[in-house]
Order: sequence, then structure tokens, then C-alpha cells
Amino acid sequence: MRIFYQTYGTAKKKFSNFLNRFFKRKRTRIGIYGPPNSGKTTLANRIARDWTGDAVGPVSEIPHETRRARKKEDIIISGANGSTITMDIVDTPGVTTKIDYHEFLEYGMDKDEAIIRAREATEGVAEAMHWLREDIDGVIYMLDSTLDPFMQVNIMMIGIIESRRLPVIIVANKIDLPDAIPARIRSAFPQHPVVAVSGLEGRNVESLYETMLECFG
Amino acid sequence: MLWVNCMPHKCTKCGREYKDGSTEILKGCASCGGKRFLYVKETELNKDVLEEKSIDEIAQESREDVLEISEPETKEVEMYDRVETIRIVSPGTYELNLEKMAESDQRIVSVGKGGNYIIDLMSMAKDQPKKKKGKSR
Repeated sequence: MRIFYQTYGTAKKKFSNFLNRFFKRKRTRIGIYGPPNSGKTTLANRIARDWTGDAVGPVSEIPHETRRARKKEDIIISGANGSTITMDIVDTPGVTTKIDYHEFLEYGMDKDEAIIRAREATEGVAEAMHWLREDIDGVIYMLDSTLDPFMQVNIMMIGIIESRRLPVIIVANKIDLPDAIPARIRSAFPQHPVVAVSGLEGRNVESLYETMLECFG
Repeated sequence: MLWVNCMPHKCTKCGREYKDGSTEILKGCASCGGKRFLYVKETELNKDVLEEKSIDEIAQESREDVLEISEPETKEVEMYDRVETIRIVSPGTYELNLEKMAESDQRIVSVGKGGNYIIDLMSMAKDQPKKKKGKSR
């Protein structure tokens, strides 16, 4: 029975790929990038829940919870004027230039577990960069509004995204927090659309969806 | 640096004396961190105080060259100048070169700061992926 389901599953996938190729259905692949703990998975879950009723992955306050890129396919977003876009959302591991297992020890993790997490997080960054190079059509770059946006990693990543000529929306996240200053992010990256949201509470996400339709549609 | 020995010097910034001309001054003045020193004769060690002159004025009078301590430049190599994609500083501590990662999947890993590298030949042997046709940008 199990073999039957496996064979059925493979055949179904092949048939689906054939149909996609045959009808050349246009799909845009959007990568959610940003430093660790900026709320990438929370936003990915929010988008998936709003438009498919599903989720993408677990969230945590410990940095580098997402250590493998996760993809949610066939999300159809529609705007107020009736325009729609079909997209795959790729939730990527947090991008950073330094990963130190000592950081995880502060969250009560034991040393061995922390070292493994650091190694997996390093592999995750490499995977995120691979996706950016090979398979991404547009980027949502997440930033925590309570932090200084002029961190080296952000400047570097926006530079890399610009050099690849990918459309990018910068999301100033966590506006539900009292010390959030989304204006600081707007002044840091005036060349790109910046949308201030709270992925956790869903505040202003409609504005993000409209911007996604404009930029990625 | 042999000539420093047994030659009294004064810091041009704060006037501190180094009678024995010890190599201590090579690290800079112990009092003010100054890096410039003037050789003064043993008999004229207190000239600056007695005649209320600055060390620079004494330097002009004596026509002695001012010794300037220069530190070897220990400039940190910028991340984008590095050859490696990942540096393993110690087990569980990594430095990642995002710009190198964005260029290709080729992996050069350096271990520690001693210039030891691990080159992943398999990553370099991979064919360049074909560009997708009709990809929307």
C-alpha cells in the first residue's frame, strides 16, 4: 500500500510538473531574507496563513531557528484592484557574517547542542546565498525596527541583491514594539520601498501585499 | 635600534625622561602614550623646565632629529579581500564571507588564523547551472 502511495505521489508530481511546463504558468519566487531574529518565519507564516490557511515553519526567540530554507508554493495574492500574483515564498535562514555558539548558550542550550546549531546555521547561510543566486525572482528584506539598520550585513546584503538586479521590498518589522523606529530604516534605504509592519500582530500587512503586487507582479 | 641604548630621551608631548634610553620607549611614552622622543644631552636633561621651553623649541636649538616610533601596520584584511568563503575560528565559531557565497557555490574553508585552508574540490568541479529561459525578472 505504501509503495502504491509513493508511486502515486511521484506520478502526481510528474504530471503536475508536465502541466506547469505545458501551460507555462508564471510563478514568481520570492525569498524572505534578513538577519537572524528579524521575523522572517513569522512573516512567512503570516503570508501563508492569510492566503492558504497553512504555515511555513516554527518560530523561536533563539537566533537561527530556521537553518534550512523552507518553501511554500502557489500562494495567490490578490489586491484591492483585482490584480493577482502567484508566488512561491522561500523562508531563508538568517544571514549574518559571524556565527558563534556562545550566543546560544545564553538561551540555556548545552555546549554540544549549541555547536551543532552553529554549524547548521552556517550551512543555512550558505544555502540562503545559493537560493539568492540561483532561484529567486524578488526579495523581501526583513529588518527589526528596534535595531540600527546600518549594520554591515544589511548594507552588504542589499548591495548583493542590487547587484543581481532583483526587485526588493524592505520590511520594517516589529512595529508593535515600543522602541521601534521604522523611519530610521526608511532613511537608511531610500532607494527601495519600505513597508512598516508587525508580522506578529498582522498590522499593516495589507500594505505589504499591495507593495508586493506592485513590485513583483 | 642599538643607538637607543644609553641615550637619554624626552617625550616631546609630556617631557617625561628616559635616562637610560631603554627600549621601553619603543612602545610609546608610558605616561602619555606619545610616540615622538628627542635625544637630549645628559647635562641638558632639565633645560626645558629650567628655561621654560617646550621640547620642540629645544629640538630646534639642538638640531637633533626627533625619534618617532612607528608601529607596524596590523591592518585587518577586509572580508571581501579574503579568499575563503568560511573561516572556522574555533569549533562552533564561524566567519562567513557573504560576497564570496553570493558569487558561487565554490567553498574554500580556512581553519584558525594561521593560514590553513581546506579547498572543497567537489564544489569547484560542479558545472555552472544553466540559466533558466524566460525567467521573469
